[in-house]
Amino acid sequence: MKKIVTADKLPVLWSHLAGQGKLLLPVKEGPTVLFKEWTAGDEVALDAPTSAISPKDIFFPREETYMRYRCRGPVLELSAGEEFEPVTAFGVHPCDLKAFEMLDRVYLDQDPVDELYRDRRARTTVVALACFAPDPFCFCSVFGIDPVSAPGADVIAHLDRQSGNLMLEAQTVKGEALLKGDASLLTEANGQSYGPALVKTADFGLKLSGLSENLKGRFEDPAWDKLYKSCLGCGVCTYVCPTCYCFDVEDYGHEMAGERFRCWDSCMYGQFTLMAGGHNPRPSRKERIRQRFLHKLQYYPETYGEIACVGCGRCLRSCPVNLDIVQAIIALGGEQNVQR
Amino acid sequence: MAERYLAELTKIRDAVRQDLLGGRINLLLGWEKGHYWWQSRPLFAEDEKDLERLTWDSFCAVNLSRYLLDELKDYQKIGVLVKGCDSRAFNRLLQDNMIARERVVLYGLPCPGMLDYSLLTAVAGVAPEGIDEENGRVVLKTVAGEKTVERDQLLLYKCRDCLYPDPVVYDQLLLIPRGAKEAPERYKSVTALEELPADERYAYWDKELSRCLRCYACRQACPYCSCRECFVEQDKPRWQGRAYQASENFLFHLVRAYHGAGRCIDCGECQRACPVVIPLQELNRKLIKDLNELYGQFEAGLNAELEPPLLTYKPNDPAAFSEK
Repeated sequence: MKKIVTADKLPVLWSHLAGQGKLLLPVKEGPTVLFKEWTAGDEVALDAPTSAISPKDIFFPREETYMRYRCRGPVLELSAGEEFEPVTAFGVHPCDLKAFEMLDRVYLDQDPVDELYRDRRARTTVVALACFAPDPFCFCSVFGIDPVSAPGADVIAHLDRQSGNLMLEAQTVKGEALLKGDASLLTEANGQSYGPALVKTADFGLKLSGLSENLKGRFEDPAWDKLYKSCLGCGVCTYVCPTCYCFDVEDYGHEMAGERFRCWDSCMYGQFTLMAGGHNPRPSRKERIRQRFLHKLQYYPETYGEIACVGCGRCLRSCPVNLDIVQAIIALGGEQNVQR
Repeated sequence: MAERYLAELTKIRDAVRQDLLGGRINLLLGWEKGHYWWQSRPLFAEDEKDLERLTWDSFCAVNLSRYLLDELKDYQKIGVLVKGCDSRAFNRLLQDNMIARERVVLYGLPCPGMLDYSLLTAVAGVAPEGIDEENGRVVLKTVAGEKTVERDQLLLYKCRDCLYPDPVVYDQLLLIPRGAKEAPERYKSVTALEELPADERYAYWDKELSRCLRCYACRQACPYCSCRECFVEQDKPRWQGRAYQASENFLFHLVRAYHGAGRCIDCGECQRACPVVIPLQELNRKLIKDLNELYGQFEAGLNAELEPPLLTYKPNDPAAFSEK
C-alpha cells in the first residue's frame, strides 16, 4: 500500500496522528533536533540529519517506573508504574531502526522478556524515513545498512525534497492500518514513486571483517593504554548512542510512599561498577573505555553475531574531545586505508 | 591550512621538540587532527614521532589544562599548550591546590578564537568541504561555490565574548600577543533574562534544562569542577537523585553553578561540551555579574595569588541578605 501526503497537508497529518495517541517526531528544540512528543506549533524537522539523541527512548525511556507503593494505615498499596498508550514514531532513520533490532535481541530474545520494553514496542507503529542527505558524521554503509530502505519498519516514508511531499509505503499490517486514514489526507500513489536517491556515507576506510575475532585475547593490548587518555569520563557517547542499553534500578521516596524505577546508566561512570564495600573492578577511564568499545566490537558480536554500532555518527558529532568509535576501531587495527 | 597557522605550528613544534627531546618535559599536551578538518582533538605526545601529529588551527578548542589532574600521576614534568582561557583554567587548578606549578611548563598561544562547525554549516547552508582564512575573514567552500564571511560571526559561543585571548600565565610565549579584547555583549543575555518576570524566567530554564541528559559532560570538561568526589556521586547523604525530573536537573545545574561562584573563569567548555547545547554560560555569567556587583570587579583565573571573593572575608563585605 502506497500513499502520498502533500507538503501542505503535513500539519493536518500530525494532528490526525496525535489524535490517535502519542506522536513522536524529530522536532527543533533550541539549536538541536530531538525526537520527542509532537505538540501543535512544534517545528518538525524531517529534513534534518539524525536527532541529537537517538530515538531509543521510544522503547527504552531515560526513566520508567516499575511500580508505586503507598502505605494507608496497615494496608500496603502497590500499583503498576506505567500506562501504555498507542504511539506513532514518525521519521526514524534507517540506522536507528537497525539499532532497535539490536535492542530487541537484548530485551526480547531472552527468558523472561523485558515486559516494559515489550509493551512499548507492541504499542508503537514505526514510520521510518529514508535518508536523502546524510551529514558528514554518518557512516552506516560500513555496517551494510542501506540508508534508503528500512526493513522492520511498519511504514517507510520517502520525502521528495523539491515538493516536500511524503510518500508512505506500508510494510506490515500495522503500517497498513496507519495508512487507512482519511482519504482527503492520504491519496493513492497511483504508481508514482520517489527516489530512492543515491545516498553515500563516509567509510573512513574501516575494515570490520575479522575485527571481533581479532579482539579476543587483546584485553591487555597496549592500544588501550593510549586510547582512553583523552576521555573526559562523561556519559555523552553512551547517552546519545542508539545501541547502548544499560540501566540502573533505584527507589525514590520514603517508607510510606514512593516508587521503584529504572533509568539510563553509563559504563563511563565510575559508579557503574562500584561494589558494596568499595571495590571497583573498573577503577579508571582506561577500563571503562575498554569495556565500552569491547562491548560494541567483541562481546555483543560474540552473543548476537554483529557489531553493536550502526554508524549513526552521534558519538563523532557529540564527544567533546572527539574520542569516538571510529577512533577506537582505527586504534585497534580495523583500518584498511591509512591515508585519510 | 592558512599560512599563518603553518608558520605558527612550526614555531610551536620547534620549541616543544627541543624540550621534549632534551628532557625538560616528559609529555606534551597539544592537539592533533581528528577524522575531520573541523576537529582537533587532544594529543598526548611522548616522543618525536607523536609530535609529527601536532596541529594548531581554528579548531583547537579543547582545554588541555584539565588533563594535568590525571597525567601528573604518571609523568614528572608536563608541557601544555595554553590559549588564554586554558591558562586561566591552569590558574584555577593551581589555586585549588590540584597541581604543582613547578611540574608544568606552559607554552602560551595567543588565540584568534576558535570556530564552530555547526555555525559554518548553518551559514554555508550545506556542510562545507573546507575553509580558507585570511585577514579576519573565512572562505567557506561548498559544492555550490564559495562564501566569504567575517570570522567573528563563526566563532564558538565561548569565544565570542572572550576578554583575554592572550595567556595570563606561561613559561614561554610562543606567538605574538593579540591584546585584551572588549566584550560589550557579555552580559546581554543574562540581563535580558533578569528583566523577565520570575515565572517566565523559570519557564525558560525549565525548557532549557529539560533537554539535560545528565551526562555530566559540562562537569567533566570544567576546570572548576575538580573535586575528587562530586556531590552528585555522594550517597551518604544522597543529594542528587538519578531520576530525569526537572527538579533533579535544576538541582544539579544550580549546585554546580554555585560551586563555581567566583571560581568560574567563563571559558565556556561546559556549554561547548553539552550535546544538547544548554546555555550554561548564562548561569555562570549571572553569578559572575552578581559577584562583581556585590564585591567589586573580579575575574577568576587571572592571577592565582588573588583569592576569589567568596573565599575571603573582609569586615566591610556587603551582607545583602541581612541588610534588607
